[in-house]
Amino acid sequence: MNDSQATREVFWNITQVWAMYALLVPTLVIAGFGFYRRVRVWKRGLPLDRTDRPIERIRKLITHALAQRRTTRDTSAGIFHTLIYTGFIILTLATTVVFIHQDFGLPIMRGKFYLYFQSFLVDVFGALTIVGILMAAFRRSIQRPKKLVYTDEAAMILAVIFLIAVTGFLVEGWRIAATSDPWGHWSPFGYLIARASGPLMSDETLKQSHAAVWWTHAVLVFGFIAWAPYTKMAHVAFSPFNIYTASLAPVGASLRHIDFDKAETLGVNSLAAFTWKDLADFDACTECGRCTNFCPANTVGKSLSPRDIILDLQLFMRNSERGIQNGNSALRTPHSAFNSPIIGTVEATSPDALWACTTCGACMEACPVFIEQMPKIVDMRRFLVMEEADFPDTMQEAVTSIESRGHPFRGTSLGRMDWAEGLNVQTIDQADDAEVLLWVGCGGALVERNTRVTRATAQLLEKAGVSFAVLGREEKCTGDPARRIGNEFLFQNLAKENSDKLNRHGVKKIITACPHCFNTFRNEYPQFGGNFEVYHHSQYLARLVDEGKLKPEKKSEKKVTFHDPCYLGRHNDEYDAPRQLVKIASRSNPIEMKQSREQSFCCGGGGGMSFIEEPPDKRVNGERARQILETDAERVAVGCPFCMTMLEDGINARKGERDVRVMDVAELLWESVSADVRG
Amino acid sequence: MNIVVCIKQILDPEVPARDFRIDSERREAARGSANLVTNIFCENALETALQFRERAGGRITVLSFGSESAEDSLRKALAMKADAAALVINDGHPHPDPFAVARALAAAIRKIGDFDLILVGRESGDWGAGQTGALLAEELGVPCVNFVDHIDSDSDGLRLKRQTDAGWEIFAAKPPVVVTITNDEHNVPRVPKTRDVMMSYRQTLTKWTLDDLDTDAASIRAANSYYEIVDLLIPVKETQCEFIEGDSLESRVENLARRIQEVTDAL
Repeated sequence: MNDSQATREVFWNITQVWAMYALLVPTLVIAGFGFYRRVRVWKRGLPLDRTDRPIERIRKLITHALAQRRTTRDTSAGIFHTLIYTGFIILTLATTVVFIHQDFGLPIMRGKFYLYFQSFLVDVFGALTIVGILMAAFRRSIQRPKKLVYTDEAAMILAVIFLIAVTGFLVEGWRIAATSDPWGHWSPFGYLIARASGPLMSDETLKQSHAAVWWTHAVLVFGFIAWAPYTKMAHVAFSPFNIYTASLAPVGASLRHIDFDKAETLGVNSLAAFTWKDLADFDACTECGRCTNFCPANTVGKSLSPRDIILDLQLFMRNSERGIQNGNSALRTPHSAFNSPIIGTVEATSPDALWACTTCGACMEACPVFIEQMPKIVDMRRFLVMEEADFPDTMQEAVTSIESRGHPFRGTSLGRMDWAEGLNVQTIDQADDAEVLLWVGCGGALVERNTRVTRATAQLLEKAGVSFAVLGREEKCTGDPARRIGNEFLFQNLAKENSDKLNRHGVKKIITACPHCFNTFRNEYPQFGGNFEVYHHSQYLARLVDEGKLKPEKKSEKKVTFHDPCYLGRHNDEYDAPRQLVKIASRSNPIEMKQSREQSFCCGGGGGMSFIEEPPDKRVNGERARQILETDAERVAVGCPFCMTMLEDGINARKGERDVRVMDVAELLWESVSADVRG
Repeated sequence: MNIVVCIKQILDPEVPARDFRIDSERREAARGSANLVTNIFCENALETALQFRERAGGRITVLSFGSESAEDSLRKALAMKADAAALVINDGHPHPDPFAVARALAAAIRKIGDFDLILVGRESGDWGAGQTGALLAEELGVPCVNFVDHIDSDSDGLRLKRQTDAGWEIFAAKPPVVVTITNDEHNVPRVPKTRDVMMSYRQTLTKWTLDDLDTDAASIRAANSYYEIVDLLIPVKETQCEFIEGDSLESRVENLARRIQEVTDAL
């Protein structure tokens, strides 16, 4: 028989096909209602524009929804998910082909296309889907990684799609057997079933079984479609939607602006105070647990779990629609439930958990569907700080110190210019024609260890002949810790004051050794009229070396590892400049830790956490120090004053007799370009 | 119960030691880069008043005698939820002596009206004279209890918990009374809610000059009736290290004792 005639009869052996079409109607209605119900809730959130820059959004959709770049980062989950996901797509395409062929009367399901695609490819991908499902089931029932959520729903979903796939093969196999399909072998797995069943079943049994399983398959598929939007399978639609509407800004620019003239409540303590996108985020969660798995606070045993924040609020949101709160059936109106407090009323949002976040952004980087966990945590902190004035004492001290003294380091014995003693550093008043401003930062000026980094940076700039000046006593905190702790009001006042001051001095370019200041200038000050060309010192110094203005003379023999500062790396996508400096200053390439670059592990100092005394057995810097000491590095290069103090503490507590020192990249470079090693 | 809390704005006492300078011409601390803050004991007094109001009710007025900038301290007090604020602008001597301050405050308090309880900090972090409270009580002709860290009320009047070297004393007092407040773990000033900080800028704040008050404004402006600052200097700390030698323990102890004797005699 000629291959060009190859096809099959669509409803072979099936009578009352109308029943299937009839079933389609309630299926689509129920499924549609499931989606509608979710979207209806989102519409109660505050407005936010997430439809701008469509080209970039489509690109993101292709990379992360279609090609699933983030999903496949986790090898085991990546493999099984790819198998099931591609299986679903291929099988859905196959069904669409049948639909076009049968219901549109376009006979496309024939010939080579029928054989290569509709028979062979679909059959293989169906089998791979089953492999994927079995892998997922193995992971869920035998491996049981801690990051997953173990629900009956998840198990049911696997069981149902497994049955759908298996019944599909049975229908195919028994049809091939009963019709002696001449092209049957093009569907290898169906053909196997046909060959195996043939000798065991009579034609009549085959036909009866085929019809029964066909209907079972149809009912399962329709049932699954109707049920899916009510389960985490809704991610099939919500994930691409969430990726399309994700923030296009860098992580460092993800905190929401508050308009104090208009805001009814400051910060968030109810679902009603979230934007629609925040609410959509709750529904988009696929329960993969990667956010919590990568959360440094969670890793060291603190109660913070970004996954649980999202899932608990998802449950809270769903219950609120039914007027249920806190899992009890004390009925309220959906409106009052939607407006009722969320902080501490679901387990994951306890103040303890909220005050453990370092705002490192590892959760956001890990999330395959681009949920923004960290900004929600900061939103809730804002409520605690600004509406309740209820936050940890030592953070209060830092904030009060910023308020009254312009820096968070209460009790420092240093002044703003002490670091420059003996150097020829000019303030902007003395050198108003300076080309760049060296923003020293509170850490760089007021924390003893970091003053040496500031010295090294200033000396390098001087050596390279850069015309620079500092603000000196006029310098004040950029407001980063205040903002991350949740005092947006203080932050905005500082942002306006500093922007005005810098504009008044005619500052165009800023260099800073603090990634927090860097991020604030780069991503947050433009809203307050502060538009500057901002460089992290590693970027500027690397450029000076490239341009030949700094000439490294000797290379260190020490083995160096580089610890990515969250606010330089994940928040602003700069991973290479500091590594380049390490390479310049040492004989070998930097040693990479297991968690580096995008997946770097926080030092524990961001988000105002440097101002909190952590319990000795739950210190983020201790864990990072452990990871560092796992390598055989002798020098830990850093590029942030907070990392410097956190990692020095962590390393010194653990290193024992080993010679391991924490050094800023500028110090390494200064050692390399200067004859005087000590600077 | 009408409560008046007197507060003073001072130069930040936490300015790093090496940034601290003296303006010997003016015989005062140089402002330098230091900020102006509310004196901590005054904040303890306000916190004590706020907690007392939570238990017993009442109305709190914060009062300051100082420069225009003292408005910041009063606004902060309003943010902490004081009910009203009044500033007597000092256009006279920049560092009035405690007697002048007490007379200005007393005149302002009489202008505010009926009062039951006047709270002041036990001393200020700049000059540290620690006399304003007692002098104010004299001016107003009411009793004064010092070094109190907690105030309660019962049917007989007030119960004041006073810190002493030996422990605490509980005083029963009938208002009106002036109380100076010292710090304690329970009266650490609260952090105001941001919403209240924002609101504090919209609240009215009464401003008076000395001429608005029923007092001898000229002598308060002169502020030299009581004491005069003749000179001001930063104490120079000198340390000398000396090892006491000796052949045996006994002789070293003996030498040490003799050396101590010599040094103390020389002082």
